[in-house]
Amino acid sequence: MKPTNFKHLFSSYDGNENLFDEIFDKKQNVRKVYQKLFDIYNDQSIEEFINLNNKAKTSFFNQGITFQVYSDDKAQEKIFPFDLFPRIIDANEWKIIEQGVLQRCKALNAFIWDIYHDKNIIKAGLVPMELISSSANYLRQMGGLDPVGGIYNHISGTDLIKHSDGKYYVLEDNIRCPSGVSYVIYNRNALKRSLFGVFNHYDIHTVTDYSENLLEILESVKPKGVDVPTCVVITPGVYNSAYFEHSYLAKTMGIELVEGRDLVVENDFVYMKTISGLTRVDVIYRRIDDGFLDPLEFKKDSAIGVPGLFAAYKKGNVTLVNAPGTGVADDKAIYTYMPEIIKFYLGEKPILNNVHTYHCSRPTDLKFVLENIHNLVIKPVDEAGGYGISIGNRLTKPEIEAVKKVILQNPRKYIAQPIMSLSVHATYIEDCQSFEQRHVDLRTFTLLGQDKEFVLKGGLTRVALKKGNLIVNSSQGGGSKDTWVLKK
Amino acid sequence: MLARIANNLFWMGRYIERAEHTARFTNVNYFSSLDAPNKLSRDRQFVLQSIYEMVGEEDEQDEVLVEQDVLYNIALNPDKHYSILKCITYARENANSSRDLISNDCYETINKFYHSVINYPKEYFVTRGLHDFTSLIMHQSTILKGKIRGTMLHDEVYALIKLGINIERATQVTHILQIKYNAAEQVTLSKPKHLKKSYEWTTLLKCVDSFDINRRVYRKPPTQSTVIEFLMLNPKSPRTVLYCLNQMQLHIAMLDPLKVHEKGTALFLIGKMRCEYEYKTVEDIQDDVKEFIAHTFSSLVELSDKIEDEYFYH
Repeated sequence: MKPTNFKHLFSSYDGNENLFDEIFDKKQNVRKVYQKLFDIYNDQSIEEFINLNNKAKTSFFNQGITFQVYSDDKAQEKIFPFDLFPRIIDANEWKIIEQGVLQRCKALNAFIWDIYHDKNIIKAGLVPMELISSSANYLRQMGGLDPVGGIYNHISGTDLIKHSDGKYYVLEDNIRCPSGVSYVIYNRNALKRSLFGVFNHYDIHTVTDYSENLLEILESVKPKGVDVPTCVVITPGVYNSAYFEHSYLAKTMGIELVEGRDLVVENDFVYMKTISGLTRVDVIYRRIDDGFLDPLEFKKDSAIGVPGLFAAYKKGNVTLVNAPGTGVADDKAIYTYMPEIIKFYLGEKPILNNVHTYHCSRPTDLKFVLENIHNLVIKPVDEAGGYGISIGNRLTKPEIEAVKKVILQNPRKYIAQPIMSLSVHATYIEDCQSFEQRHVDLRTFTLLGQDKEFVLKGGLTRVALKKGNLIVNSSQGGGSKDTWVLKK
Repeated sequence: MLARIANNLFWMGRYIERAEHTARFTNVNYFSSLDAPNKLSRDRQFVLQSIYEMVGEEDEQDEVLVEQDVLYNIALNPDKHYSILKCITYARENANSSRDLISNDCYETINKFYHSVINYPKEYFVTRGLHDFTSLIMHQSTILKGKIRGTMLHDEVYALIKLGINIERATQVTHILQIKYNAAEQVTLSKPKHLKKSYEWTTLLKCVDSFDINRRVYRKPPTQSTVIEFLMLNPKSPRTVLYCLNQMQLHIAMLDPLKVHEKGTALFLIGKMRCEYEYKTVEDIQDDVKEFIAHTFSSLVELSDKIEDEYFYH
């Protein structure tokens, strides 16, 4: 029997019907796929749930799945907020996502090959040359180089949202060093530890097979003439915010986690310094940005890179994953040409929608943007982590004027998109001790290798924990959820 | 195995072991002095100086030590490289850098250990928490070493940690022996005949957690000769120099067993020293105990330098 003061978890859930709620339909009925889960959660009292939530947090903390925040000159460790109510994606919906992101990643790969070789897409007049040549992430050193298997973006993270029309849109392609996959796996583990009972009611794809697939991808692009390749992960070091993920991936692949100072290049071959001397390295999964890879070729003051690494790469003696110079294609200005890029290289129609984009570099678009800032999101084309974004309907008049000024100073640097309404998901909010609607997105992880491709069946559902906030990045106070992809 | 990571694993082992010895030494010295049989051993200044000597803090001659300052420095002062807090911080930093190689269980234990030390209330510690805190350190480090042994693959990663633990333990035992020998000399300065049966030998055994097992071996109160024999040359007690040398040889051989045939390698030198101690008797050393302790200490320091040169700096 339940105590009389029993407060259901969802008793104060306040659904805003203008938003697309993943759990409730317009009439506030629970969607079929969530019904069982909802029943189980709603059967718990707030007290029970608070207890579970605290246990999950302690578990993350003790496992050291944390990041540093600095205040009052003191470093403090914080866990990434994790929500115990999972997001479910049914098999049919997932099929579209999986095919869609794979299509995009392949098209991007073909695009990068083309712009570092014949530049056919530019000759065809589909993408303007200035866009490439003005991109800070275009590496002239990559011109004419043939990476093993023709693969550039071995690892891609595609950010998707569900709009109020119930359809998925791609928001961003991340093909430099996308991070977050370790959280997918740890979120799943945390949920299993705290609420194992719920797994009995759903048939879910595993996410723990990511590392084995990643290792196969790395091995598939080994340099010519190597039989059993030595693969390593390179990290900027323990103080990097993604260090936990770097060590997780190295550990689960069973390969060494190295820093720049552990590697040395001799006669254009790369070696690591071990307790018994030098050992040759064949494939490097690098979690260091292009500019820092090699002080002889790129930023001269890079202390985390390896002198001579790029020369070894050019000779084909070592494979870098992802290839240098992929950043040219995840530029937000290139994003807007994705429908054309997919059609040009694959001859296919895009499976996933692109958000319509206005280029401030185009005079007509610029005019429209300046007149409609209040209805648009303004983004710099080359910033990551959600920085520098202005959301028009949140701005005061003087702020709008200030944004206009900034755009006019360098129109090439900015694009604008209609304000997309990210779907919302029931999320436990500690301050209110209840579930509330919060905006979510989804990052998927796609791997491309020589004769091999893989999309992780799951992903990182990121939650904007501040009410009404649309920016989900962890650097901006976002949390995450376990994401279930159902089997057919 | 990367040379840099090997270095970190080795030092992780050393710092875990060091924290434990510092905690136990402080605990035993402080509490046993409270009802010690002679005046000098009861003297608080004498005890605090001895604690400082253990960690290598150089205090000014004639300086009057303030108890709370000394205890804080030893245990929780983040600005003292020798503090227990700093040892555990270094151990955990080393674990962080080799997180992909040590077991999850092991990492989680060291991480929890670190947080329990970092968050230990300072005020409570310096007024009432000495026993509680030092017990916590001894307890946690024992659990941690159990996790290392019980959850990790016994490969070169493990061998390096064990190598660090054992060389640190041998060094600490020798160092404590040295301090206590000097203390025993001072205490019995006016009655040199009492040196051989000084109360300090009992404290010494307690400092290295060997008092009760020593009793089982000798069945009588400790004397200078039985204590030296036991702590230096007993192969069965895990807290003796000879035992640690055996362990060091076992584990360094896991890195590259063929080096045993190569003159001058760390493995060769450890083996040489081990043989020397295996066949030494207390009669051989009792004429110049002080010199022998000093010789053991410097030999261990040389071994450590040799290991670092040979394996960590390529």
